Amino acid sequence: MTAREAAGGPDVLVEAVDLQKRFPTFHAVRGVSFRCYAGEVFGLLGPNGAGKTTTLRMLTTILRPTSGGARIAGYDVTREPEAVRRVIGVLPEHAGIYGRLTAREAVRYTGRLYGVQPEVLEGRVEAILETLEMAPHIDRISDTLSRGMKQKVNIARALIHDPPVVFLDEPTSGLDVISARSVREFVRRFKRDGRCVILSTHLMEEAERLCDRVAIIAGGRVLAQGRLAELKAHTGLGLEETFVQFVEDTAR
Amino acid sequence: MIGRAVTWWREERGARLRRDRRGDVPRPGPFEAMGPFVRAVYAKEMLEALRDRRTLLVMILLPALVVPLATLGIPYLEQRQQRVLRSATPAVAIVGQDDGLLRLARTTRLILPVRAPDPLRALRERRVLAVVRLPSGMEAVVARDGQVRVGIQYDASDSESTAARGKVLDLIATYSREVVARRLQVRHLTPADLLPVLVDERNVATQRQLSGLLLAGILPFFIAMLAVVGGMAVAVDLAAGEKERGTLESLLAAPPRREAIILGKFLAVLTASMGAVIIVVLSMILSLRCGYPYLLTSAGTLDISLPLGTALVLLGVALLFAALVSAVQLAVSIYARSPREAQQYVTPLYFMIVLPALAVPFISELAGRMWVYLVPVLNTFFAFRELLLGTVNWGHLLLTSVSCVLYAAVVLKIAIALFSREAVIFRT
Repeated sequence: MTAREAAGGPDVLVEAVDLQKRFPTFHAVRGVSFRCYAGEVFGLLGPNGAGKTTTLRMLTTILRPTSGGARIAGYDVTREPEAVRRVIGVLPEHAGIYGRLTAREAVRYTGRLYGVQPEVLEGRVEAILETLEMAPHIDRISDTLSRGMKQKVNIARALIHDPPVVFLDEPTSGLDVISARSVREFVRRFKRDGRCVILSTHLMEEAERLCDRVAIIAGGRVLAQGRLAELKAHTGLGLEETFVQFVEDTAR
Repeated sequence: MIGRAVTWWREERGARLRRDRRGDVPRPGPFEAMGPFVRAVYAKEMLEALRDRRTLLVMILLPALVVPLATLGIPYLEQRQQRVLRSATPAVAIVGQDDGLLRLARTTRLILPVRAPDPLRALRERRVLAVVRLPSGMEAVVARDGQVRVGIQYDASDSESTAARGKVLDLIATYSREVVARRLQVRHLTPADLLPVLVDERNVATQRQLSGLLLAGILPFFIAMLAVVGGMAVAVDLAAGEKERGTLESLLAAPPRREAIILGKFLAVLTASMGAVIIVVLSMILSLRCGYPYLLTSAGTLDISLPLGTALVLLGVALLFAALVSAVQLAVSIYARSPREAQQYVTPLYFMIVLPALAVPFISELAGRMWVYLVPVLNTFFAFRELLLGTVNWGHLLLTSVSCVLYAAVVLKIAIALFSREAVIFRT
């Protein structure tokens, strides 16, 4: 790779280069590389245990890569983790809530953690919860919110500092059809705002509906990546068959 | 050591200047930017803690009501029972005959002498509370200036029977004195001939010292207990609880340094712990002041008070102690997989801290040895004791304070290190 490529063009917001993560008991990620651009939704598609969450945790500086690296908006995840954290929004898998805080307090807390200026914070908290159709529930104690509403609170928390890059780990898992639908709607909106969205999913149809490009991951490796239409054309099969084909090819 | 620190600081500053020159997101130095984040974490943890009934229960209700009720309520019940037993006239089975003794029993009303065909069975069935066996011909022997042996049977496992025994002993002592007085009279002697030396005793301890002794016996134990229990629920909730609820990952993905997050959480635990300590000190002193005179007739004049200066120094030492306890609880909670596990680790900690508090009055000969003031936990209790007894030594106090701060800092450092370890954070 040349120095210019490593620096990344103006549009490259996320660049993972041969990311690896080895835990004491198993090798979770065995070399994942990809690039994502502004205004793009990139999907990490793979079965459970494929290494999607570990990959996202390395990109969000929560885990340190065993080898390889990544740059987010030009910052190195291992050498400048704090700078990386300031430019990303994160919705972890099975994200919980602070049950005794109201929606407003939870989002306000996150805003303060991201250093959002106090003068603008309150307005932003209200605006973002309103966008997420949470205005009627803004002062309700989170424990009393429905699952979909809790997820919306967590989405608001991920976006309160207006990050250019957003990571969503299985954002619709455990949600009912209506809630999942509205979460997908927000993902499209992030894209329209020009953000770079990276989401993980094990649902083929979700990837098909949302993602511009996907990386199919299994066993800690990227098996294929590109536009879904291209991948399907490549195998000449439907999406699910395409996926199974790729996973089985590597298993063999 | 210092040389290495200076080198590190130079490198850090150099790196910061280089970063600043790059002109991108301003990167504040390691410490100047921590304040707002520490405040944000602290405010949120306190808000959550205050909305948790468990916190209010152990931080306010326990020290304000339960502790004084238990400390004063139990002695009160005991006193009440003693009073009842003192004023009662127990039925005692008399075996044998001595008119003088029986007459005295009736006039003094110490016991109610009764006859029972099977006295031991009557005692077992609680129809009488003691059995007195008078030797045959007792009156005659006593009249001949002889000595007799009277038997008492009672049930030591029964407080009423034990009290009856006391009354029988009183009665016999009174009877003996009467006999002695008669014998002396016959020999033209006075009681003073038998007691050539009289003792005149006077207690020189001041009211303050007496109240200090009382407080030194009670207060350190409750300070220790509430320092642990007051912050326990909060400590368990804000680290192990975040793991369990799945809120930790978002927090770790946020910009604040680990140090700032831990510091904010530590201060929240410390606030809960110290809040409980302050409340228990106030409620104990208040309830002792108001409740104690009614409790003990002998303490009717005992003035329970703590000079303001002493109270402030006491709370100062308690704060440093609470800091150490809070840091340990936080570290344990970070390490634990779940709140349940954290709770299991913290419970033995409670005993490790409370038992020395109970032991200190019995190893008071160690006071004054320098090493004692360096042993965590033990040093605090010796310092409390000196403060309350008024034998304060500023050297000991300084040693205690410095070592407490040092230990708390080391444990806090360990907590931060644990919080930065992937293996600990994702221990599930």
